[in-house]
Amino acid sequence: MKKPALHVMIILGMIIGVVYGLLASNFGWIQFTTNWVKPFGSIFINLLKLVAVPLVIVTIIGGITSLSDTTKLTRIGSKTLGWFVAISLISSTIGLIFVLAVSPGKSLPVEKREELKVKYADDVSNRLNAANAVQSNGPLRILEDIVPGNIFYASQDNRNMLQVIFFSILFGIGMVISPHEKVAGLKSFFLGVNEAMLKMVHLIMKFAPIGVMALIAALLVDLAGDNPKEAISLLKVLGVFALTVIGAIVFLMAIVYPILVNRFTEFKYLDFLKKTIPAQILAFSTSSSAATLPVTIDCAEKNLKLSNEVSGFVLPLGITINMHGTCIHQAISAVFIAQAFGHDLGITEYLIVIFTCVLSSMGAPAVPGAGIIMLLIVLGSLGVEAEGLALILAIDRPLDMIRTIPNVLGDAIVAAIVDKSEKSRLKAA
Amino acid sequence: MKKLPLHTKILIGLVLGLAFGIASIQLGWSAEFTVNYIKPIGTIFVKSLKMIAVPLILASLIIGVANIGDISKLSRMGGKTLMIFLITTVISTSIGLVLVNTFKPGKQLPLETRENLMSLYNSTAADKANVAAGIKSGTPLQPLIDIVPENIIAAATDNSAMLQVVFFAIIVGIALLQIPKKKGETVVKFFDGLNDVIIKLVEYIMIIAPYGVFALIASLIVEIAGDDPQKAWELLTALLWYSLTVIGGLFVMMLVVYPIMLKFFSKIKFLDFFKGMRPAMLLGFSTSSSSATLPVTMELVEKKLGVSEEVSSFVLPLGATINMNGTSLYQGVAAIFIAQALGLDLSIGSQIMIVLTATLAAVGSAGVPGAGMVMLVIVLESVGIPTAGIALIVAPDRILDMVRTMVNLTGDAAVAVVVAATEGELTHPKDLED
Repeated sequence: MKKPALHVMIILGMIIGVVYGLLASNFGWIQFTTNWVKPFGSIFINLLKLVAVPLVIVTIIGGITSLSDTTKLTRIGSKTLGWFVAISLISSTIGLIFVLAVSPGKSLPVEKREELKVKYADDVSNRLNAANAVQSNGPLRILEDIVPGNIFYASQDNRNMLQVIFFSILFGIGMVISPHEKVAGLKSFFLGVNEAMLKMVHLIMKFAPIGVMALIAALLVDLAGDNPKEAISLLKVLGVFALTVIGAIVFLMAIVYPILVNRFTEFKYLDFLKKTIPAQILAFSTSSSAATLPVTIDCAEKNLKLSNEVSGFVLPLGITINMHGTCIHQAISAVFIAQAFGHDLGITEYLIVIFTCVLSSMGAPAVPGAGIIMLLIVLGSLGVEAEGLALILAIDRPLDMIRTIPNVLGDAIVAAIVDKSEKSRLKAA
Repeated sequence: MKKLPLHTKILIGLVLGLAFGIASIQLGWSAEFTVNYIKPIGTIFVKSLKMIAVPLILASLIIGVANIGDISKLSRMGGKTLMIFLITTVISTSIGLVLVNTFKPGKQLPLETRENLMSLYNSTAADKANVAAGIKSGTPLQPLIDIVPENIIAAATDNSAMLQVVFFAIIVGIALLQIPKKKGETVVKFFDGLNDVIIKLVEYIMIIAPYGVFALIASLIVEIAGDDPQKAWELLTALLWYSLTVIGGLFVMMLVVYPIMLKFFSKIKFLDFFKGMRPAMLLGFSTSSSSATLPVTMELVEKKLGVSEEVSSFVLPLGATINMNGTSLYQGVAAIFIAQALGLDLSIGSQIMIVLTATLAAVGSAGVPGAGMVMLVIVLESVGIPTAGIALIVAPDRILDMVRTMVNLTGDAAVAVVVAATEGELTHPKDLED
């Protein structure tokens, strides 16, 4: 019997995870699941994150040093940022249109709203503190934060990815403008480490079916908790909101992405989806684009055959500043909360929503949960009660899983677009 | 004078430190002088050894695994190593139990002294119990999760996360093994060079070893004696039988168990083994830290005992974190001693339970600093002995820690020799004479 392909195994793991999770929450095998199933999911995520920082460093340096001169880097950089901003704007707008069309906030009963507010009061105040800390900084703080004071200190925390990226880009530029023979050894060292890291990703991915199964099973058990009935009733209340978010994401992935892929890259959309399946599944089950990054890079280089100089630059950058799913989610959440509290928003407020969503998704680090803190900032700029966050906290985790898929896929699409435009430029010359 | 071998110099340092310490207590020299001007030399020495432990593990283990040739050999070696670790741990705990049951040091402890000790070290015992509770509140698979770091730089900034660095180095080594040789060449060369540089650093640091050891021992003695040497002495003698039982057990490990292991599996004579390892044993004794001693142990095991780098770089770092024969022996003795002193009778079943939990706790609390005591709390709880009893054994612990560290690293070295011998990775040691 031929061994089935990896992504088939992963999907199988996911299905088994769902089945097991449903059984476990039905029969109350909660202790057993946290003790003996969940750890394998944690180990799997740890393994992926472990590779992320070294891989980011070596792919960026490797990518930049394969450029012949720095003007090309500037060109790729500005193209990349342009596409990031453009698609993020589109995503926020889609979110806004969906939430205005469906108006999920109006269908939320007031007593349910109050109930949720009480229940999640603690969570909200925690996050409010974090958001206040972020807001009390000056407007240029984001730029300030990109520059690390110490590269080792920055690289010991996966949340400082942007700082590591900044250092690696500078380092790569330094290597490009140094005399070639002096940095030849260094270059071949980084290429070797790059190769070894990708091999590590392959080794780790062998463990993916089990890891994904454990993640999904543990998630279902956690969500159901001690009282599965309550989870279902919650879902009924917030169902319209959740469906609005999912609908907007499906619209993005089924209409907008195909247009972009078919028009601006050399792939057919279906083919593109197929070649990035492992990354999408991991994005869904880990809800962390940083953890997924090693696999995304692997898919881009081995399956899509994008050039190392483009994917090594675009993908690490994309996980921190290009989050289409997060844009959609924030736009919908902000308006949903405003609706639920009976605020009337005008056209100016809608424009504010679109722009703050784009800005905050770019400033949000690539860790699960950071988007929520950014949402508070969006709410603040609209003058909507921050306690409204309680309304969406309850079902944030499943939505986080779903919105990580376009977050990751969007990065791969921009990488493919920039790659195509660089290649056609080469042909024209 | 110049030709004096290193271990002799270290030994002289140790004796002089002892003499200085005792003299300064007897003659009533100010302890401040020792603490201010002598202790720092010892601290610098220990820190410089610890400084190179993490880079050494990274470089040597990556090289070791990458040179191993194929993965099946690695997993065979790994399985063998863990198996021997497990067996020696069980043996050492059992020896401790046999001795403590034979000599019954707990029955010798006067009731008055017991109460005295209990009130004196009450808070220490409570602290350790808290840490142990923290460890136990995790899920049973938590130790497995703890082995996998989320971020290698974060793991490398903490010497107590050594096992995580070991894990990372092993998978990097495996990855280098599997990519085309040409692509990995520079990386392997880089780590090879790094490894050589670090080994050179070990040699430099060892130059100050005699002074470092002198300072460590002198300040230790002054500190133990404290303000009231009379009382310190009384405490120590009250626990004399207990201390002797632990030390006796440790000697059984060193002089009976390891020689048998070596004779059975390798051609190395125990005397040669002992001679070769002398500097590391002395260092282990005076620093009471296996991770500080690790760089020296690795160098000696390779150069004096002829164990190949692949084996030593794999077995020793792993052993420093999870194979602690001295510590597990001490746990067996301490647990029963406390039970005896508190007048509890333990059945054979409970004693077997102690062997099991001591073995598991050794693996499970690998990354916890001061693990010995914390592990003991877990062992005590498993058989229902009140953890407050730890107060009884705190007083001589620092000294016993020195002896058991020596046994811990000797055990690691012995396992390295056995693994190397059975893998055919043991070359005849050449420079034993020097």
